[in-house]
Amino acid sequence: MIKGSESEVMINSKDRITTPQTAIVVINFILGTGILTLPRTAAEQVKTPDVWLTVILGGIVTMIAAIIMVKLSRKFPGKTFYQYSKEITGKWLSKLISLLMIGYFLLLGGFHARSLAEVTGYLLLEGTPTWAIIMPFMWISLYLIRGGINPIARLFEIIFPITVILFLLVAFMSIKIFEIDNLRPVLGSGVLPVLKGVKTTALAFTGPEIMLIILAFMKEPHKAGKAALVGITIPIFIYVITVVMVIGALSIDGVVIRTWPTLDLIRSFELTGLIFERFDSLLLVVWIMQMFASFTINHYAASLGLSQLFQKNIHPFMYGLLPVIYLISMIPKNINDVFKLGDVIGNIALVLFGFLPLLLLIISKIKGVKYETNL
Amino acid sequence: MKQTFNHFQFLLVLFSVFLLLPLAGCWSSHEIEEQSFGVGVAYDKGKESLAEKEFDEQGEGYTKKNLITSTYQLITPQVASSTTKQGGQQQKSYVNISETGDSPFQMLRELSLRSDTPLTSPHMKVMVISEALARAYSLEQLVDQTLRDNDFRPSCLVFISKGRASDTLESKTVGEIPAFHLYGMIDNSYRTTRILPPMPLIKLASKIQTGSSFLMQNVLSANGEIKFAGAGIIKGETSKMIGFLNEEELDGLAWITGKGKGGLVKSFDKKTGQLIVYEIESMKSHIQPHVKGDNISFDVHIESVGRLSESWMTSGSAFNNQFLKNAQKTSEKKVKHLVTNVLEKMQTKYKVDVAGFGNQLRIKQPRTWMRVKENWDQTFSEVPINYDVKLTIKDYGASGSKK
Repeated sequence: MIKGSESEVMINSKDRITTPQTAIVVINFILGTGILTLPRTAAEQVKTPDVWLTVILGGIVTMIAAIIMVKLSRKFPGKTFYQYSKEITGKWLSKLISLLMIGYFLLLGGFHARSLAEVTGYLLLEGTPTWAIIMPFMWISLYLIRGGINPIARLFEIIFPITVILFLLVAFMSIKIFEIDNLRPVLGSGVLPVLKGVKTTALAFTGPEIMLIILAFMKEPHKAGKAALVGITIPIFIYVITVVMVIGALSIDGVVIRTWPTLDLIRSFELTGLIFERFDSLLLVVWIMQMFASFTINHYAASLGLSQLFQKNIHPFMYGLLPVIYLISMIPKNINDVFKLGDVIGNIALVLFGFLPLLLLIISKIKGVKYETNL
Repeated sequence: MKQTFNHFQFLLVLFSVFLLLPLAGCWSSHEIEEQSFGVGVAYDKGKESLAEKEFDEQGEGYTKKNLITSTYQLITPQVASSTTKQGGQQQKSYVNISETGDSPFQMLRELSLRSDTPLTSPHMKVMVISEALARAYSLEQLVDQTLRDNDFRPSCLVFISKGRASDTLESKTVGEIPAFHLYGMIDNSYRTTRILPPMPLIKLASKIQTGSSFLMQNVLSANGEIKFAGAGIIKGETSKMIGFLNEEELDGLAWITGKGKGGLVKSFDKKTGQLIVYEIESMKSHIQPHVKGDNISFDVHIESVGRLSESWMTSGSAFNNQFLKNAQKTSEKKVKHLVTNVLEKMQTKYKVDVAGFGNQLRIKQPRTWMRVKENWDQTFSEVPINYDVKLTIKDYGASGSKK
């Protein structure tokens, strides 16, 4: 293993990713549980058919946060957040913040694993115990992240086009039960309801925070901003299509009563005459791949954090975190607890990645630009 | 030391090979030939079947009220295999089994006490609810279980039946599965305005949630045959059924909503009393709400393009525009009559809005809608509605003039 100065830990010249790969990592990290529940959670807040506008606004808000995070990370080339934060806040505070971040990734990982188990246990693998669903999922993730960021990014490159193609196919199939009247009137009750839901939809876009870490791995860090923006734009499209199709079919009143509205949409129509009549499995395939991608990133980011924090080899942390994430995924006692955990994670993200990077950026600006000139 | 390492490696490989074995398995699999597929379900007012009565007489039952009888249409492995065999004796290709109780879910599970191939519902195509039951219970409660279920797809179509719902799942035709028959008939809406847009469970759930009144296709059964005849009116506030619209009223309704895909208008010439049939190629309607203070009114503009498809007139030539204009006028009058008729029924008799006037108000005057939506059906029954109808006969088929 590589020993020596800490900036060398884990980041060698081979372990670099290209700009498109960075964007794809961001996309895959964003798309997760939200795609199945967003139409409901957003409609609960907005209560008018303008949910799709809220989704776009939420995406734009996330873009601003992402740009701030990229700006911050660009100040410290080749270093991850775990490594450079102490140069801003001092050793102990930076350790605390890093630990919080690691905790966040672990929580999110557990949440992903649990949501996956809930949905597949309900629709796909009824009767299979939760552990039997979660454990193989985690082991495969372990196998992947052992290779470092490069294999992760390359796997995501394979997943991504499959996701987009299958998702678009399935979404547009549902045109059969789509009613445009369910999406009208546009802005019938003014702009206020649209703004009410922005927090919810912005939290559906959590994911760009990974830029704090993977920017250090980029071949061309100066393109990080572009990668982040592209990485958010594509999920905006996917979310808008989801919300429009789901609300178009189920209507605002109908969507708020369904636990997994997007799954209901796909389950609510059958097309005869094609090879397949039903498309639930296609959507689930795509979704499970996305859940796997998100989970992997969480696992990796948390392990990397611990390894850089304690300046130790990363592999023991990867193994060691498996049971931790598993236990976290088992904390929620019922499905409401799962959703609540999701909300809690959202609020943590809001503080950690919404406000904190801005604060750190301002502090580092005040402290001067010596880090940049050092290069 | 090298030796032990190889041993370790060997064990690891062995372990991995054993791990591969369960990969080919399936955790909770059920063989397809040991299941019967439910393809249709009918809910009726409780009336025990003969078998059930005898079971009950012998005692050892469970506590229940005989409120609902659900009849499941199954395709069992036995039936499926006997119909595929050629030359065997001709028999029904489905099995209907009834269960009486008070919880649809419990009734479903009770079937497992009576059959070695329990019912699975991922292929449920239709659900028929009898009028008597729909009048007594809220639909929301009746379909609650099916909407929660993970097997029962929300794409299952829901119908109302004026008679006993279980009769609509019977057929005399050999080899026909009534549930599929019913499911397929809904696709005929391109030929008539008397078929409503399909109502899958998920749409039903949404309609119930919006709290506005709506229609559901009514199915009649007689002598082992079925027919779509009009629609049941479901009152939004209670989600219970309150009455019917007949076939002609459905025609009128289709003209108001403009959602018809095809069909005809039969009318009689004023002077000669002869038959004229206008075939709809396309129809469009535009409902414009007007709000002045507290007064709401609606203008409905109906436009349609079509063809003269039948004419019993003994004189006159369709090559002549005057003749076409006359036929147009006659048909327009008929459409107006249909519209008046259904509006009268909605506003005076049932006092419900099932034509989507409220929806148009919601879209075009959202603020007014917020104010009136609570009591919309009542408000609607007193709202003035103006309408105009414009039909255009584009052509008259292959025959033009007569003698």
